[in-house]
Amino acid sequence: MTMFEPQIMCFLCKWCTSAAADAAGTSRMHYAPNNVNLRVMCSSRIDPQHILYAFKEGADGVFIGGCHPGDCHYVEGNYKTLRRVTLFKKILQDLGIDPKRLRLEWISAAEGKKYAETMDEFASQIQALGPLQLKEKALAREVVKDE
Amino acid sequence: MTAKKTDKKDKKDKRIGLFVCHCGVNIAGVVDVEKVAETMKDYPGVSFSANYVYMCSDPGQQMIIDTIKEKHLDGIIVAACSPTLHEKTFQEAARLAGLNPYQIEIANIREQDSWVHTDKAKATKKAVKIVKSHVAKALQNESLEPVKVDVNRRALIIGGGVSGLQAALDIADHGYEVILVEKNPSIGGKMIQLSETFPTLDCSQCILTPKMVEVSRHPRIKLLTYHEVDSVSGFVGNFKVKIRKKPRYVDETLCNLCGECEKVCPQVVSDEFNMGLAFRKAIYMPFPQAIPGTYTLDAEHCLGLTPVRCGKCKDVCDKKAIDYDMKETIIEEEVGAVVVATGYDLYTMQAIGEYGGEKYEDVINGLEFERILSASGPTGGVIRRPSDGQVPKSIVFVQCTGSRDTEKHNPYCSKICCMYTAKHAMMYRHRVPDGQATVFYIDVRTGGKAFDEFYQRTIEEDRVLYIRGKVSKIFKEGDKLIVWGVDTLTGKKVEVEADMVVLAMAMVKADGVMDLLKKLKIATDIHGFLAEAHPKLRPVESLNAGFYLAGCAHGPKDIPEAVAQASAAAAKVGDLFAQKELSHDPTIVPVNDELCSGCGICISMCPYSARSLDLERGVAVVNEILCEGCGACAAACPCGAAQQRNQTDSQIYSMLTAMLGE
Amino acid sequence: MKLHYYPGCTLKEKTTALDLSTREAMKRLDIELVEPADWTCCGAEYPLTEEKIVGLAAPIRVLRQVHQEGGDVVVTTCSFCYAVLKRANKAMQDDPLKHKRINAYLRDDIKIDPLTKERTTGFEDYNGEVKVLHLLEYLRDAVGYPKVKSRLKRDLKGLSIAPYYGCRLLRPHEEMGVDEPDEPRIFEEFLGAIGCTAVDYPFKQECCGSYLSVSLPAAATEASYRILRSARMNGARAVAVTCPLCFYNMDHRQDAIKEAFLDFPGLPVLFFSQVLAWALGVDKEVLGLAEHTVPVDDLFIENRAAEERT
Repeated sequence: MTMFEPQIMCFLCKWCTSAAADAAGTSRMHYAPNNVNLRVMCSSRIDPQHILYAFKEGADGVFIGGCHPGDCHYVEGNYKTLRRVTLFKKILQDLGIDPKRLRLEWISAAEGKKYAETMDEFASQIQALGPLQLKEKALAREVVKDE
Repeated sequence: MTAKKTDKKDKKDKRIGLFVCHCGVNIAGVVDVEKVAETMKDYPGVSFSANYVYMCSDPGQQMIIDTIKEKHLDGIIVAACSPTLHEKTFQEAARLAGLNPYQIEIANIREQDSWVHTDKAKATKKAVKIVKSHVAKALQNESLEPVKVDVNRRALIIGGGVSGLQAALDIADHGYEVILVEKNPSIGGKMIQLSETFPTLDCSQCILTPKMVEVSRHPRIKLLTYHEVDSVSGFVGNFKVKIRKKPRYVDETLCNLCGECEKVCPQVVSDEFNMGLAFRKAIYMPFPQAIPGTYTLDAEHCLGLTPVRCGKCKDVCDKKAIDYDMKETIIEEEVGAVVVATGYDLYTMQAIGEYGGEKYEDVINGLEFERILSASGPTGGVIRRPSDGQVPKSIVFVQCTGSRDTEKHNPYCSKICCMYTAKHAMMYRHRVPDGQATVFYIDVRTGGKAFDEFYQRTIEEDRVLYIRGKVSKIFKEGDKLIVWGVDTLTGKKVEVEADMVVLAMAMVKADGVMDLLKKLKIATDIHGFLAEAHPKLRPVESLNAGFYLAGCAHGPKDIPEAVAQASAAAAKVGDLFAQKELSHDPTIVPVNDELCSGCGICISMCPYSARSLDLERGVAVVNEILCEGCGACAAACPCGAAQQRNQTDSQIYSMLTAMLGE
Repeated sequence: MKLHYYPGCTLKEKTTALDLSTREAMKRLDIELVEPADWTCCGAEYPLTEEKIVGLAAPIRVLRQVHQEGGDVVVTTCSFCYAVLKRANKAMQDDPLKHKRINAYLRDDIKIDPLTKERTTGFEDYNGEVKVLHLLEYLRDAVGYPKVKSRLKRDLKGLSIAPYYGCRLLRPHEEMGVDEPDEPRIFEEFLGAIGCTAVDYPFKQECCGSYLSVSLPAAATEASYRILRSARMNGARAVAVTCPLCFYNMDHRQDAIKEAFLDFPGLPVLFFSQVLAWALGVDKEVLGLAEHTVPVDDLFIENRAAEERT
C-alpha cells in the first residue's frame, strides 16, 4: 500500500508565522514533514507569480502564513496579501488548479500549536486532493515506501 | 562597518561554504548531519562543506573565520538553529574574517526540522532541501552596507500647551535647540484657561506660568507664537519646515503693556479665552499672563487696515509699537525631529440638540464653567449664570455628553470628564453652600493617583448627588432649566429643576488640525487623533520616522499623563539625537530605473510613504531611510523594477526550484 | 386636479372634522380629493411588527389600489395612517422577504364588486410605486406655500398656534424623512404660510399618551396636560394637531385633565386642516367644530384681529 506524500511550499512571514514555526519547534510539537519553508519579511512580499512557480516546480499545495489583521509589523501588509490571495484563488480556478491547494492563514508568534496543527491539517487535505503534477518533466511520481 | 566589500561576483564564480551544526543531539539526533554535509559537497556553488558539533561555540566560530580566509569564501551558510538566535553571532564571526555580514545565510534545520519531525530519513531529506534553498539564495546575495544619514539635532514642537512646553523644556535641557510654534498669540493651550486642576486643586495658571516663563527665557528655545506650520518636507533627521508668521501688527519687543490702545479701540469682540462669556477689543492681550507679553491686533475684527479706517490705537501708543504695515512672512527652518502636541477641542454642543446647548445660555460646557470658576474670569470667580448673572441654586452636571456613544457621537471615553465634573461639583458646593449639585453619570472613572479619594470626598463631604442615568432632554420652563433623565438604580424617571447645566462635552481633535496633519503626512486614527506606532510598546512615536506625539493630540488624557507623555516623547527625540548618524537596514527595495515605467503602483503600496514619483524622470524613487523592507511594493511592481535587496524574485525562484525540484 | 387621499377609518367615524375640513380646504386649492375604491383600515401600528408581517397586507392593499387607479401619490392627514402607510411602503421597496410574502398574499386576493358581484383576481405585484405623503408635506413640496398664500382669504395675523407634531410624524427619521426630528420646521412653516404665528415650546414632540388613554388613562392625562400647559405658558392661543388620537387625548379628555390638574384652565385644540380651511375662506359651518369638547368658536370669528383689538 503506497501513499502519495504531498510537497507543501510554505511562505512564512518573519515576525509572526515563522516565529510560530520556531515556537512549535522549541516546544517539540511534531507534525508531518511535508513542508519546506521560505521566510519572507512580510507576507505582502509574496507575488502570485511565486505561488504559480511553486506549483510548477512540484508543490502540491502552497501555504502562506502572516500576522493577524491589525498586527502586521509593516502596518497593512497582511491586508494586501489577503486581497491578492482572494483574487488569485479565482485565477487558480481558471487555470485548472483547485484553489483549495492555496491556503492563507494568520498565525501569530505565540501560536506554535496552531502552526503545527495547521501543517498536519493542510498536508492531509492536499493528500486527499492528490498530486498536482505540474512539472514539465516526466510525470511518473515516485511514491514513498516505508524504509 | 569595516568589512571588506566583496564585488558582486557572477554566480558561477561564487565560493560558498557550508557548515552543518550537530547542536549536540538536538539536530544530529534526528537529522543525519554528516550525510547532509557530504551530500552538499558537490552541489553547484558549494566550495566547502563540513559539520561540527556546536557551531556557535568559540571553536565553531573560529572554524568559520579560518575557513573563510583559507578557502577564500564569498559567502557562507550555517545550517543550525533559528536565525533569531545566532544570526548576529555568525555575522560577527564572518565580519572578523573580512566577509560582508549580508553574505551570511542561516538555514533553520532545528526548530523547523529536527525538533518537529520524528522520521529521520525524511527529516534529513528535508534538511538537504532547506540547505539547498539557502545555497541558491547565497549565490545571488549582494554585499550591503547599512544606509547612513546625518541627524540635525534641532527639534520642532508644534503646539504650546502644557505638553508642547514640557517637551520643549526637556529637549532643550538635554542641550538641543528647540523651535516651538504656537498658532495663538500666546502659549498656554487649554490648561491656562482652567481654574483649579484635579486632584490637588492647584491653581492651573500658578503651576503653568512658571513653565511658560521658563520656555520664553530658555536660551535654546526659539519661541514662535502667532505662527503656523505651513509645510514639512524631508525625512527623519533632515526635515525642512516652512513656518508662516502671522502679522500681529504690534512689535512685541516694544509693547510695554500699558493698555492705552485697548481703551480706545471701538471694536468689541467675543472673547475666546473666556469662551464667549466676556468681551475683548480688536486689539487685545488674550490674558494677563500671556507670553509673549504683548498686545495683538486681530485684523479680522479691526475696522480696517487697508486702508486704515480707525488708527486710534496707533495714535495713543507711546512706544510706537503698532505697525499696520506688517505682513505675513514665511520662515524656513531645518530640524531633525518633530513633536506634534496640537491638543484638543471640545465637541460642539450643537451636535446634541436635545440638550439645548445652543439654545439656552445657561447650558454650558466644562471650559465655560472653568472660566466662571476662575478668579480672573468674567465673574471674578463668583459662580453666576450667564443669562442673568444670578447665583445658581441648583446646577446639574451631565457626564458623557457626546462620549461613549456608538450611535451618533463619539464612541470613546474622554477620560477626564468624571474627574473634572467631580471637581466642578465640589467647587460649586464650596462656593454656594446652599446650592444643590446633581451629576448624571453612566460610570465614574477615577483611576489615577488620588483620583478616587477625591471623588469620594465629593460625595461624602460635599454631598453632591450622583444619579446613574443618561439625560434625555433639557429645556427651559420660565426661569428654570428642566433636565429629564433616568435613575437606573431605582428604575425611575427623574426630572431635575436647575438654574444652570454644565455638560461634560467629549474631547475631540483640535479644530482645523486635519489640514496640518495632512501636510505632515502622519497617520491618525478614525477620530483624528494621532496614531502611535504601537498601542502598547511605542506610545509616543508615529510610524512615520522622526515624528513624535504628545498630549491630547494623541487622545484624551489628563495633565499628569500629558506631561508624562511629553517627557517620554522628548526622551525619544533624545534617542534620535544621541546617534552620531542614522543607520538603517539596507535590505530595502530600491528602484531599477531602467525597468521602471513610472506607473506609480508601488507608491500607494508603501505604509511609510517611502516611495514617490519623480515626474521629471518618470520613475519611482525610494527613500532608503524610510523604507522598512517589507516587500509589498516588490510584489506589486508589474515591471520587476522593485526588487528587494537579497530577496529578489530571482532569488525566490531559485530557492523554490532548489527546494521543490528533485 | 384629482389627488388620491386616504382618510383612514377614524376620520370617517370619530373625527369627521379632520376629513371635512381637509376636503373643503383642498377644494379652495383646486384639488379634488379622491379616495381609493374599497379601502380598508390601515392597521394602525400592528402591520409594522417584525414577527407577523401578514399585517402588512392591509396597508399594501390600499396602496396597490391607488396604484391600480393610476395614482402615484396618496396624501393622508392622520399621522398614524401616514406612518403605517409610509413605512409599509418602504418595506415593500427595501425588504425582499416582505416584498415576496406580501405580494404572495395579495396575488390571490379576490375582489368582489358589491353591486355586480363581479369577481376580479390575479393582481400584479406591488413594488412600492406610490409615494405616500402627509398633507403638510404635500402643501410644502407639491403645492408650495406661495400658491397657498395667494389663496388666503382671511387674515390670521396675531393668532398664536402651538404646532403639535406628536410622535408619528417625524420618527423613525430614516423611514419617515419628513424633517429633522431634532429641530423640525415643517409645521411652523405651514402655520407661517397661512398667516398664523407659530409658538415654539419644548413639548411639541412629547407623547400625548396615545393608546394609554385606554389602558392607563392617568398617564395619558398627565402627558397631555404637560403638552397643553407648556403650549399655554409659551403664549399659544390653541394647539394644532394632525392625529385623531392626539386630538382625543388633548381635546375630548380635557375635562379629565382639568380635574386632575386644577391649575389648568383649558386650551383649545384644533386640527391643522381646520385652520388651513378657515384661512382659505371656508365657512365655519363646514369645519366640523361641533365635534370639539373645548369650545373653539371664538377662534373662528371674522375679523378676529380687529375684534381683539377693541
